[in-house]
Amino acid sequence: MTFLHNEPPHPPAVAARPEPTSPQGGEVNRPQERVRVLSVLVEDGSNTLSKVSGLIRRRGFHVLSISVGPSHQPGRSRITLQIDHGHAEADQVRKQLERLVEVIQIEDVTGEDVHSRELVVAKVSASEVKGLVERGAKVLDTGPDGTTVEFAGEGKDVCDFINELIRHGVLDVARSGPVVMRRTA
Amino acid sequence: MILEALEREGVEFIFGYPGGANLPIYQHLPEHPKLKHILVRHEQGAAHMADGYARACGKPGVVFATSGPGALNLVTGLATAYMDSVPMIAITGQVASTQVGRDAFQETDVIGATSSVTKHSYLVTNIDQLPRVIHEAFHIATTGRPGPVLIDICKDVQQASAERINTERLDIPGYQLNGHVNLDRAREAARAVANAERPVILAGHGVILSHAEAELREFAEKAGAPVGTTLLGIGAFPVNHPLSLHMTGFMGTGWNLKAVQNADVLMMVGMRIDDRVTARLADFAPKVKTFIHIDIDGSEMGKNVRPHIELVADAKNALEAMTPHIGELHEGRGQWFSQIDAWREEHPLKYTHSNGHLQPQDVLIDMYRRCRSEAIVVADVGQNQIWAALWWNYDRPGLFLNSGGSGTMGFALPAAIGAKIGRPDADVWCVAGEGGFVMTAQELSVAVEHQLDIKIVLLNNFSLGMVRQFQDDFYGGVRSQSELTHMPDFVKLADAYGMPAVRVDTFEEIGPALDAAERTKGPFLIDFRIDPEANVYPIVPLGKGLNDFWEAPDK
Ligand SMILES: Cc1ncc(C[n+]2csc(CCOP(=O)(O)OP(=O)(O)O)c2C)c(N)n1
Repeated sequence: MTFLHNEPPHPPAVAARPEPTSPQGGEVNRPQERVRVLSVLVEDGSNTLSKVSGLIRRRGFHVLSISVGPSHQPGRSRITLQIDHGHAEADQVRKQLERLVEVIQIEDVTGEDVHSRELVVAKVSASEVKGLVERGAKVLDTGPDGTTVEFAGEGKDVCDFINELIRHGVLDVARSGPVVMRRTA
Repeated sequence: MILEALEREGVEFIFGYPGGANLPIYQHLPEHPKLKHILVRHEQGAAHMADGYARACGKPGVVFATSGPGALNLVTGLATAYMDSVPMIAITGQVASTQVGRDAFQETDVIGATSSVTKHSYLVTNIDQLPRVIHEAFHIATTGRPGPVLIDICKDVQQASAERINTERLDIPGYQLNGHVNLDRAREAARAVANAERPVILAGHGVILSHAEAELREFAEKAGAPVGTTLLGIGAFPVNHPLSLHMTGFMGTGWNLKAVQNADVLMMVGMRIDDRVTARLADFAPKVKTFIHIDIDGSEMGKNVRPHIELVADAKNALEAMTPHIGELHEGRGQWFSQIDAWREEHPLKYTHSNGHLQPQDVLIDMYRRCRSEAIVVADVGQNQIWAALWWNYDRPGLFLNSGGSGTMGFALPAAIGAKIGRPDADVWCVAGEGGFVMTAQELSVAVEHQLDIKIVLLNNFSLGMVRQFQDDFYGGVRSQSELTHMPDFVKLADAYGMPAVRVDTFEEIGPALDAAERTKGPFLIDFRIDPEANVYPIVPLGKGLNDFWEAPDK
């Protein structure tokens, strides 16, 4: 089972400056069973993202994270969504999204055997970042004011990593939100 | 280019209104005499006319409007059609593609404003997209669960020309139709109804949209299951049929609600199971062991009620697949029928005929006596809508049209105009309260201009009747802003538009007024000044379950 099932969801995927007192980025406590992870293949179009997000809002769901990028097929993008479906039945999010003509395929990968990866890029004031490198971070550059590092991993590891960053005097963090892929084996 | 494409799609009528951003289309309209354009007096009227047209004749209604305010005036009409799954194409003009996003004159993000009330929408910024988009739009609007599709076309695209490209092939990977019926589930559902001791079937608008009334009837008769309909499902099953339970929901008939609340198997076909059907959800159909839900839209499954057996399919295909598997019926069926008969006697539809005031039921009963099942009734929203639903025995689909899902006041007059244009052979009666009527009364001009033979029956109770009733019954009797004290003289209003009209205050005048309406060619209005205290019954108090319905008090 992946973190998606066992761990509290991580903060929304926006560039955030985590409060030292709140390593979870101020995230509200969300019943884990209300969170679905969907991998959605869509047709590119100026209106697609707003239709997807508009529908989610209208049906009373809540987007926890969203990441979008081109797929390997021309003219199509993949959206990875983490959604709190609120009071609705869990499967409603998928069914409602399926009604959009722009949506070609949806996979509900909640609790599935998937690889889930999230990227963090952060600036820390310390130039001594051994602890971060030991956790798997890569140094992107170092200057007189600090160091820029990147880290990719599962949501739980990303949360731990950010806590570690805080100890190093973090200046800024950008976080991507997860992308997922079913395991090959 | 646009107009040719519409001709290719078989469009006959367009309901529209010109303005700066769609003038290039209007410039070429006279070159297409096969496209008959109805100039409305407000774009909302155009949307409801197209909607009424589609509901009456089954073909998609087509609307034109200009950008900004013109397109925004369509929104209520689009929402009305969307809620009731009515096929419609709205073509709106947009500012030139080079101007989009610059707050140009009359620029509004129409796609943004209408996304939540359309089945699909397109912004066309390039002429090459246009033939494909129009063809796709008609396909999407009319297939599967129908609905309105909006095409927002930039002004420069309207002026451009392009090679005619082949639009025969449709490739819409994100649009799959649910054609196939799961046969195992169909068998299971049929057996569940047959084996039930106390089965009930409820039929919604989906049965009408899929033309499944014959299949429903055959299934119900073979399975020995009584059938009720939703407000929008009226006509899906004949009210006079011995198995009919008439209308369900929070203003449904007492015997229907009793049957639903005591059923052990409840099969719901082509319906959304919304709050108007269930009343308090926790108390809905508490004795049911097996919920069966059949709908073409998979997202309806479990949206409000989680079915034990679900069939995502067209109602007609599903019922056809089910009927052969009915088999033996439960031996308790006779007892169930006598129980329903007892409820029918115990909780009949009733009203007080002679209290010195004109009663709306008297008007409707006389109308029904004249028309039987030959007329289309288009109702507005409010008490008039429920009276027109209950006091008329519709025995076929397409005879009772109303804004059931959205409850849009002002629907009836323009929709009746559209219905008459779509079904010129049929008598069309528009039943409305005076409150809703004045919301779109400007469309009287259209009825007069085209001498459309529609008869307008105003049930004028000097108030926003349904609101007044709710305030009396559920809001402490505080009649706040529901009394309409300053309204026009409707006979003079009709006269100002060039339409004959009469006023009726007494029971004795009903017959002669309806005679006059029937004799008159062209539109006619009757202002029935009814009992201002007349109420709709049965009614389930807000927040209560279906069991708690109130009946008309005995006077
Ligand atoms: C556009 C719109 N505004 C408000 C309402 C709320 N509403 C529902 S019924 C009703 C009263 C309708 O009054 P009237 O048209 O006179 O019909 P009656 O109920 O008296 O038959 C109102 C205000 C509505 N359904 N639609």
